[in-house]
Amino acid sequence: MLETDLKKELQLDEAEKLLPLVLEIIPGHAAEGLIDIYEPGSYAAKSLKKLCDKTLNKKNLSIEEQLIVEDIKRQLDGGKLLSRGQEIEGTALEYAVSEQTEAGEKYLYIPIRAIKPQEGGILD
Amino acid sequence: MKQLLDAGLELVLESDFIYFPLLFDPDIEKEIQTVFHPEENKGIFNGYESKAVIKLKDKYFVKGFRLDTLVKNYESINPHSYQHMKNECLRRYQLMREVDETFLEGTLRTILFQVMPHFIKKNKGLSRKKLSDEAILDLIGQKINVPEGYYQEAKMFMDIDPLKEILKNIENQAPLLEPPGNGLTSGYKLRDWFRNAVHAKVLSDEVDRIAKSVQVRQQFSRIKPEHIATLLYITDTGSMEIDGFGFIRKNADRKEYHIYKHSGDYILKDYYDRSYLFPDCRVAVSTYTPFRPFVMEKYKHPFLLEHKSGQEICLKNFNPPDELTAKRIIGVLEEGLTALRYGYDPRRRNGYHSLDQLWVHIPTIDFEDYRI
Repeated sequence: MLETDLKKELQLDEAEKLLPLVLEIIPGHAAEGLIDIYEPGSYAAKSLKKLCDKTLNKKNLSIEEQLIVEDIKRQLDGGKLLSRGQEIEGTALEYAVSEQTEAGEKYLYIPIRAIKPQEGGILD
Repeated sequence: MKQLLDAGLELVLESDFIYFPLLFDPDIEKEIQTVFHPEENKGIFNGYESKAVIKLKDKYFVKGFRLDTLVKNYESINPHSYQHMKNECLRRYQLMREVDETFLEGTLRTILFQVMPHFIKKNKGLSRKKLSDEAILDLIGQKINVPEGYYQEAKMFMDIDPLKEILKNIENQAPLLEPPGNGLTSGYKLRDWFRNAVHAKVLSDEVDRIAKSVQVRQQFSRIKPEHIATLLYITDTGSMEIDGFGFIRKNADRKEYHIYKHSGDYILKDYYDRSYLFPDCRVAVSTYTPFRPFVMEKYKHPFLLEHKSGQEICLKNFNPPDELTAKRIIGVLEEGLTALRYGYDPRRRNGYHSLDQLWVHIPTIDFEDYRI
């Protein structure tokens, strides 16, 4: 997402700030990641980084989710969590956008990518 | 020779030899009169097998060649026509596209069922489940438009009884085609027989392929026809793209592919915190060495040496894998995408070129047109 789009999308109104928050931590450039849902009021005061740590330390994961977590941890070995092209810092609400399910239920969504840096260098 | 059969002439078959109508002019007539004495003309079918000219119903025919020899050697006599007939035969049994080999050799399977699921959205809503191969084929079917004809071909593909019958005949050493009977016949009839005989030879030569096909198709016997249609279509076209992930088969070798993922547009910043909007490109890896990520389009970037297509992305501490597995294909694509989108450090100006002009006398790529 481009920065200009980001500014438009991140302007949440007061009612939207009371929606449940869906956090998705995606390993690398995968299409899908580990999903976690935070109830309204449970995330507002917390930093996004802390929410991510909590999500990554979740117990009772399915086998598929465990594989995703392994993949995320592999990326985070020397890597970082990015949301919308930026390293995450601050609260979840600063990164969330409002979306809705097929049934019309609204929620806030933050996609976060775990990216292991590749600095580029000299072609061997 | 086959042109003579195509001409619809009246021909004679005798003891596997084909006799053609004799051209007639005064000189030939004189020669014929010396060959055919009245007493030898009695009982024309008695003992003339070794003769070069025969007479039947007041017409003369000259000995041509053994029909079975023509069938056996047709590949050398007329390679182009043989190939055409071979393709025709293989197409009839859905053996043409090397579909079975493609299914067996696994590259396409790896791409479709192990690499692609990593890069495409598989689940609706918030559920995150691993999809079965069937579910992936369903998903592909929803996202690409498979032409109707492939559904018909899928039915033929799944009907393995004719292939089993051919194998049975070959194993029993039964002649695949009975030779035509002696006597007068038309060129058209003989041409049809010849065509079937060449087909029978092709099938006999392709016995290994048929056995393999039967084996593969038996494995696929429980798959839905629409899935077979999807696979036939993909095998035929050799390319597909879903959700920014795709692959293209290389022309030179049907089993080699370029597997790619679109980068999407992205922004990089220079030393002075100015933004540059980079357009989408396809970061790819080949299924043949070197297993390094490259950009398919004509493209420029600090990590690409020039402004042209097919350039390898320069990476730090990257050891290309010795062989490609699904995991490694994913890894190589990820490294390339990460390098382009996140790898440039404006403070260090890493890579071949810097986004901002350094004002040194070194030829470099200019990115001013990407500034926003």
